[in-house]
Amino acid sequence: MAEAVAAVEEGATPLAGATWILRSPIRDEKLAGSYVAVSGLAELRAIETGDREIAIGAAVTHASLCAALNGSADCAALVQAAGAAANPAIRNVATIGGNLCAFSFAASDLAPALIALDAQAEIYGVSGPERKPIETFLAARAHLARGWLLTRLLVPRNGRISAHARLPLRKAGDYPVAIVSVSAKRSSDRTLRSVRIAVGSVEPVARRWPALERALEGRSLDPEEAAEAARERVGDFQGRDGVEAPGWYRMQVLPKLVRAAMCGVLAQA
Amino acid sequence: MSISLTINGETHATNRDPLTPLVDVLRDDLALTGAKAVCREGFCGACTVLMDGQPVVSCLLPIASAAGRDIRTVEALSDGGELSPLQKALEQHDVVQCGMCFPGMTVALTSFLASNPNPTREQVKQSLVGNICRCTGYERIIDAVLAHAQAMQGGG
Amino acid sequence: MDASAAVMNYPRRDARDKLSGRTRYTVDRSRPGMLHGAILRAQAAPARIVRLDVSAAEATPGVRAVITGRDAPGLHGIGVADQPLFAIDLIRHQAEPLAAVAADTMEIAKAALAAIRIETEPLPAAVTMEQALRPDAPLVHPDWTSYEVLFEGGGRSGNIAWEATVVRGDAEAAFSRPDVAIVESNFRIGRQNHLAFEPRAVIASYEDGRYHIETSTQVPWTVRNVTARVLQIPASSVRVTVPPVGGGFGLKFDCALEPFAALLARKSGRPVKLVNSRQEEMLTCLCRENAELRIRSAVTGDGEIVGREAVVLMDCGAYGGEQIFLTTMTAHTLLGNYRLGSVKLVSRAIYTHTAPNGAFRACNGVYNTFALERHTDEIAARIGMDPLAFRRRNVLGAGDLGATGQVFEGDALGPMLDRMAAVKASRPSRKAQAGRRLYGQATTVGTWFVFVGPSAATINLHSDGSASVITSGVEIGSGTMVQAVPQIVAAELGLRPEDVIVRAADTDAAGYDVGVGGGRTTVSLGAASRAAAIEVRRKLLAVASQMLQTPAEKLELRDGRIEIAGIRGSGTTIAKVAQRAQELLGPLSGVGAFTNSPVVSQPGCARGHFIEALEIPIFAVHDCEVAVEPETGHVEVLSYTVVQDVGRALNPRAIASQIQGGVAQGLGYALHEEITLDEQGRIRQTNLETYRVPLATDVVPVEIHLHEGAPSRGPLGAKGAGEVPILNVAATVGCAVARAIDRRVEQIPLTPPRVLAMILDKAPAVRLPHIAERWEDNVLPRPARKS
Ligand SMILES: Cc1cc2nc3c(=O)[nH]c(=O)nc-3n(C[C@H](O)[C@H](O)[C@H](O)COP(=O)(O)OP(=O)(O)OC[C@H]3O[C@@H](n4cnc5c(N)ncnc54)[C@H](O)[C@@H]3O)c2cc1C
Ligand code: FES
Ligand code: FES
Repeated sequence: MAEAVAAVEEGATPLAGATWILRSPIRDEKLAGSYVAVSGLAELRAIETGDREIAIGAAVTHASLCAALNGSADCAALVQAAGAAANPAIRNVATIGGNLCAFSFAASDLAPALIALDAQAEIYGVSGPERKPIETFLAARAHLARGWLLTRLLVPRNGRISAHARLPLRKAGDYPVAIVSVSAKRSSDRTLRSVRIAVGSVEPVARRWPALERALEGRSLDPEEAAEAARERVGDFQGRDGVEAPGWYRMQVLPKLVRAAMCGVLAQA
Repeated sequence: MSISLTINGETHATNRDPLTPLVDVLRDDLALTGAKAVCREGFCGACTVLMDGQPVVSCLLPIASAAGRDIRTVEALSDGGELSPLQKALEQHDVVQCGMCFPGMTVALTSFLASNPNPTREQVKQSLVGNICRCTGYERIIDAVLAHAQAMQGGG
Repeated sequence: MDASAAVMNYPRRDARDKLSGRTRYTVDRSRPGMLHGAILRAQAAPARIVRLDVSAAEATPGVRAVITGRDAPGLHGIGVADQPLFAIDLIRHQAEPLAAVAADTMEIAKAALAAIRIETEPLPAAVTMEQALRPDAPLVHPDWTSYEVLFEGGGRSGNIAWEATVVRGDAEAAFSRPDVAIVESNFRIGRQNHLAFEPRAVIASYEDGRYHIETSTQVPWTVRNVTARVLQIPASSVRVTVPPVGGGFGLKFDCALEPFAALLARKSGRPVKLVNSRQEEMLTCLCRENAELRIRSAVTGDGEIVGREAVVLMDCGAYGGEQIFLTTMTAHTLLGNYRLGSVKLVSRAIYTHTAPNGAFRACNGVYNTFALERHTDEIAARIGMDPLAFRRRNVLGAGDLGATGQVFEGDALGPMLDRMAAVKASRPSRKAQAGRRLYGQATTVGTWFVFVGPSAATINLHSDGSASVITSGVEIGSGTMVQAVPQIVAAELGLRPEDVIVRAADTDAAGYDVGVGGGRTTVSLGAASRAAAIEVRRKLLAVASQMLQTPAEKLELRDGRIEIAGIRGSGTTIAKVAQRAQELLGPLSGVGAFTNSPVVSQPGCARGHFIEALEIPIFAVHDCEVAVEPETGHVEVLSYTVVQDVGRALNPRAIASQIQGGVAQGLGYALHEEITLDEQGRIRQTNLETYRVPLATDVVPVEIHLHEGAPSRGPLGAKGAGEVPILNVAATVGCAVARAIDRRVEQIPLTPPRVLAMILDKAPAVRLPHIAERWEDNVLPRPARKS
């Protein structure tokens, strides 16, 4: 690990599944001069389920995450996100870390799922490991001084139920134009407690939807009401215009995704 | 620095740049032109090969990452010129058109059927989300796959 | 011969190698000593080339040849010779070729391209047809008057590359009748990329003073002739051969990379391979063109269409190409399907500073049918008539007049609509599957044609009882060359189809052929092959008659034998007769040829048309059910049903494959596949991330019914079956979605954002200010034609 970090500090670029890096020519980007492969690092390939948290190595692929954590109550949204992203062959090689460290990739499925789950990112720099809330990491990653690796993602085991709703333009196989991930504490009376709602692909970087969280906090879990509350607040976002969809569209479909995610949560409640 | 690749059971050493996509080595250096580089971005699946039994797109697989892994290409499915049972089913149902997608399609389906011997129509479709076919409209391929799966179940 | 002998579900012989990855398409081939070519393409357009300095590229070690516009002075085109191989002085569209190199490796070739110095000066642009039609618009071809006109009769002026008109009957009177409703609809249509999986690719060499071009094309003879034209060499010095083609759909219905490779090969003295990258394919694909249409009808209360007028603008991009020809097809599609009392139509191909467009499966027929069928629904709604009843009342039948005054033979659309109604009555609607989504259903009709044209075939019957067929036909995936052609020949000669070898296209070996496309393969190549087989059969029977001491009329050919009629097992084998014939007369062979026969239109009614009447029309009736998600605009197709006129189905299973595939491509066009241009005229969808074609999860099994028996001059009554399945998909989906969301659908594709914008009333109506209100004001003044 220290070797890899040292290499990165000297200017090498981390290389994981390479599904983003090898598409550089298509994005009119130059390949970097040197790369350091991180997929071989055993620490980065492990998934450990502890009492208080699940630690997922950054070089774990989408497919192995699904295989290992399928059915795990603590990270339903994450498993759904990893299982629905891209296509089977890509899921076999694309890694969690690569997905979160492709800075200019706005449509990441994992980012909103991890935000909703209140996960932390573990970063290993010259001064050793350091943890940051995932949302902080996502917002800051492009500006961090060189010389770090994303090593693990830590998902707390605190009895949250969660769900992930994404909207590709076809049935599947393309990047989602908008994503909503939701989690809440399990409660006996089906009220929403410490609800977290994350929105991805609408803006350049995934983020929480605080106003909607506040509006739904303590209310009973009613997907229709949640969609209505979302409809009133879609103006909280500035949808990004892209070749595939205009910004207004990404905002407009959010209520539907909120409803779908809430239905997913309700199914587990 | 030389990279050693294991392809269809044979070892090959190459001096190409480690980031070279595997598909280029297969096609240009080893005359294994079954895998097609149609999009080079992971969406079409025409370049699909098996890595340790799992389908991966060889256009986005640097040879450095393929080193030491067991790579099987479409050419290995019909070893000795004998079509695999799945390929025979696709031939008998006359579903091939231009044929460019079929190497990747059969590789993906071979691995899928190995772990899902008795799939539903919807599962087969989901498994093909990364394999585009521009000619056939898919459904008749799926008919052939389901008929094949059923025959394999029946025949034990 | 009993035609049923040719009918069977004969499987394709090329499937085995294609499935096992052994088929060598052009992209998979190489030759000893082969160089790699690459093309320098313009970054921005329009622009004037101030300086193009290739000296650094020429000096790069490993570079074997560099070529520019100086090496290829000739202009080519369809109707008008307006296109050079390289941009010379003027760059007219993004990605236009500026120079090309051949080098020992691709890396060296790319480095050499990077070393080329180019200086350009930007010019004012006309990116949209609206901009191109402004009175002060910059001309895409300032020298248009100097171009050689290859086909007479079209109107031309400035950015109007070609204008074709149809005037029949007194439309003015019809529109001023007091008892008619006047219905007007406007449409705007986007481009569609073929996304043939094998890109355009070629290997060329130059030996003994001749060029050998091995290429992925649908049109070997066009490649031969256009290469000769731009290189200004005799056409006989070019030989074109064609390996299996990895998908065409019309993309390869034109000469493409071949002249570049030929020039590089001559200059370097080595074979040169040139392959388009996917990005180059996306930027320079000869797309189905974008178009804008206005259609207006005068209809009586009881549903008679007494007058129809239309203006169609087709964007040909920077060069005329196929769109010049396609102005012809508007008459037969937009003004097809229905009886019309009077018509006025103008179709214009417009030059813009954008990548040229081309041919794509059923070409403009697809969007003309969309526009016509949506307009038809709007008429029915206006006069309060059931849309299906309106169609049933007005579809063309035996003896009816088409747009250009041709008299149609036989009834097809009427009985096909009845068949569709019966199919639908026999099964439940899928409405329940829509759930809380909006449900829509539509049935539409469509008319397309066989692009007949010349074909030639030679058959050699060998002394082992096998036959080889030599044509310029190409196997592009549709199966015709490996199924229908051997089936027809085998049936005629009493052989098994497996005994009929079909030679891959080689212009040195076979006679002229228009190419594989336009639904013409089975018809024209099939008919030429059949004619050749008939000659062989005649010669064979003459010898057999002697050998068997039986008059030829009493002999039958079947199962590889020549038998005395009615006596199974009598006679002898075809191989024995062929051997005998070889001893007596030399090897047996026959030649066949086929071309169009004239069909009359009403004199003086069509101008600027390449085809005034349809020799072999093809009809289709489609039905679909859709569910639209009101919150996202996603359209799901719940069912899709096709009744297709096939004349005679020679290989029903292969036809079904074509229909399933064509409908899927049509669903892509109707729902997903979008190409947009930015203000500089650059295509924005440059990869498969943004250009979305249907995946397995986006299609449904098509329920297929073949309508047989409509008249056809094709072999054994066959028609082309591969092109037409895409024809009314956008129409059917468009009408069904319009009904589901209760909005005027005026544009395709119906992507989720577009549909949602319509549902939310956020989508402005299509306005076409560059189409004048009065039809006459959209037509170039031209001297009266002498008839
Ligand atoms: C066809 C296709 C469809 C896709 N669809 C989706 C989708 O629907 N949803 C979705 O979320 N994703 C999707 N993706 C995946 C996504 O776009 C990325 O390609 C992928 O997640 C990158 O993972 P990787 O392991 O291949 O990363 P790489 O390409 O190896 O690396 C990506 C970036 O991350 C950096 N990096 C990698 N690992 C680390 C680390 N440990 N520490 C620091 N930096 C690191 C690299 O330097 C590089 O900058 C799709 C990809 C493809 C090809
Ligand atoms: S070429 Fe590899 S996925 Fe398309
Ligand atoms: S058969 Fe042509 S792409 Fe699938």
